[in-house]
Amino acid sequence: MTNQTVTVINNTGIHARPAALLVKEASKYQSKIQLKTAAKTADAKSILMLMGLGANKGTEVTICADGPDETEAVAALVNLFQSKFGEQN
Amino acid sequence: MANKIRGRGVIAGVALGRIRLAGQNIDGYLAKYQPEAVEVEVEKASDALIAVAEAMRERIVRLQEQKMMAQAAIIEAQRLMVQDPMMAENIAGKVAEIGNAPEGVMEAAESQARVFEDMQDDYFSARATDLRDVGKRIAKYILGVKEPEIGSGKVILCGQEVEPSVIAEIPTEKIAGVLLGSGSTTCHAVIIAKARAIPTIAGLGDKIDGIRNGDYVIMDGGRGDILVRPSQQEIDDYLARMRRQVELASRYQALRELPAKTKDGHRVNIMANIGTHMDVDTAIKTYGAEGVGLFRSEFLFMGHKDIPDEEEQFRAYRGAVEKCQGRPCIIRTMDIGGDKPLPYLHVPPENNPFLGWRAVRISLQRRDIFMPQLKAILRAGLYGDVSIMVPMIINVEELQQVRDMVEEAKVELAHEGQAYYDTVPIGVMVETPAAAIMSPILAKYADFFSIGTNDLIQYTLAVDRTNATISSLYDPFHPAVLRLVKNTIQSARDNDIWVGMCGEMASDPYAAILLVAMGIDEVSMSAPWIPRVKEMIRSVTLHDAKDALARVMKMEDGHVIRKYLRKRFPGNNL
Repeated sequence: MTNQTVTVINNTGIHARPAALLVKEASKYQSKIQLKTAAKTADAKSILMLMGLGANKGTEVTICADGPDETEAVAALVNLFQSKFGEQN
Repeated sequence: MANKIRGRGVIAGVALGRIRLAGQNIDGYLAKYQPEAVEVEVEKASDALIAVAEAMRERIVRLQEQKMMAQAAIIEAQRLMVQDPMMAENIAGKVAEIGNAPEGVMEAAESQARVFEDMQDDYFSARATDLRDVGKRIAKYILGVKEPEIGSGKVILCGQEVEPSVIAEIPTEKIAGVLLGSGSTTCHAVIIAKARAIPTIAGLGDKIDGIRNGDYVIMDGGRGDILVRPSQQEIDDYLARMRRQVELASRYQALRELPAKTKDGHRVNIMANIGTHMDVDTAIKTYGAEGVGLFRSEFLFMGHKDIPDEEEQFRAYRGAVEKCQGRPCIIRTMDIGGDKPLPYLHVPPENNPFLGWRAVRISLQRRDIFMPQLKAILRAGLYGDVSIMVPMIINVEELQQVRDMVEEAKVELAHEGQAYYDTVPIGVMVETPAAAIMSPILAKYADFFSIGTNDLIQYTLAVDRTNATISSLYDPFHPAVLRLVKNTIQSARDNDIWVGMCGEMASDPYAAILLVAMGIDEVSMSAPWIPRVKEMIRSVTLHDAKDALARVMKMEDGHVIRKYLRKRFPGNNL
């Protein structure tokens, strides 16, 4: 089990497009991956659950992965958060 | 004669075309549908998910090839919803429960859509439409419903909600406009229309029922006007107007990045008056606003049963401030009174609401209303260049009381451990004759002035601006008004504080010449007026403007002044 906590830093939060990017990235890994906020937990391979987190800019999100490629999976998702999902500002 | 209806203009531009009703009713198909055994229905639903996802994947590739990346991303998000494991599970469960594949799919999508709607966030609640769209698409696939063909010629898409997949599917050159019954401006249909600059009108509600498939329609996305089945004369008029608009738009487009600077290099700031954070982007990107000179916070207070809480206000202010990206954003505290009754204000009926218990007079007596607002603004101050503007001030004491309450708000925030910006400037909206006359004194206590002419004119001239019978007396060029404005600007200059104008007067290009000559720092107006005022300022010299002002100040009558200015500065057939 690998965990890492990140802060949502892109302006729009986890709305449809960032959620889509997360799902696509998460689906590359075999591990079971979850994103957790203080209130909710979402399967990282489900766009609906990710959007259902309602994570806005500033929200803290813990990425938890469990499986053969868990370290790579967490690193890849952390990277997406830090790149602000490719948003300009 | 055409049938005229009006909605809310969302994306400007004039369009002509035939109506194509979108979001067609599939109830007829559903009623005729004969479900088979439960297992077969469940399988049909899961097959449909795969087929629809595949069709979407093909469309995404096509959109990407055409470099329509924003639309491709929207359909991509929808494709992931179709393939979502939770969605598949919910659909299978629902279909098994009711034994009907298309209805089960739509119900599962509907219940997920409700989850988004309940999220208390404009963006996410608009995603509910995407989910319903996805549900309908899958149901249509199961039912074998084909989207009607588009014939030759341009169409105006029309529906309560137009599904993003429907817009994305039609080539740009085929869509002349979009008419929406629903009021949401963050729905994907509007986002796609915006990306393609398709004129769009929203919020038509039931009025949309008067529009039939195939109707010829003229629409004006700037004003929100729609002419259904127009006469030839009306079509000709509109075509002429469209040509003029195209010319004007390109002229204004060229002005967008240019400063409001006189020919001899004197510069003023030109900003926008806004009602919601959603107005900011258009103001800056389309009209070249250099910030927000007046954020009317009233809209947050209207349409509410109760006082909007600090969190809600904070989100709205922060939204606007962030969109300004470091440009100034001046937030006016609540400016409401007996003329716009709100249930939670409990303002008793008044004989003269404009002279009654309103604006800061309410704020100072109702801590429960003022405190959350001040705290929300102070917190939003962390996200950009925020100022607080206080309306209806008539004396120094009121301003001091406001300052005291701002300090109290800071103490409360500090106790709550909330971050806030400590030095948000506090300015006076000079809109009473008292404030204008006392401006030399008020300037010692205020961080800035912004002249609100709409009320200043009505109070100075004793002319009710809502009374059409005497509207000809309501004159921004009345020498009494000009004197008060000039005194106010001079007081600010003498005390080295910033002074702007946020009333409608600022949007009159001839008034702008006088304001520049008086030494104003900023003019703020409804965004669409920015280009023509800028054009006027750029066409004069400060020297000329000052000379005109000196002459105008000797004139005795508003009509004479206006006539003189028109004659002296004719260059801008405005």
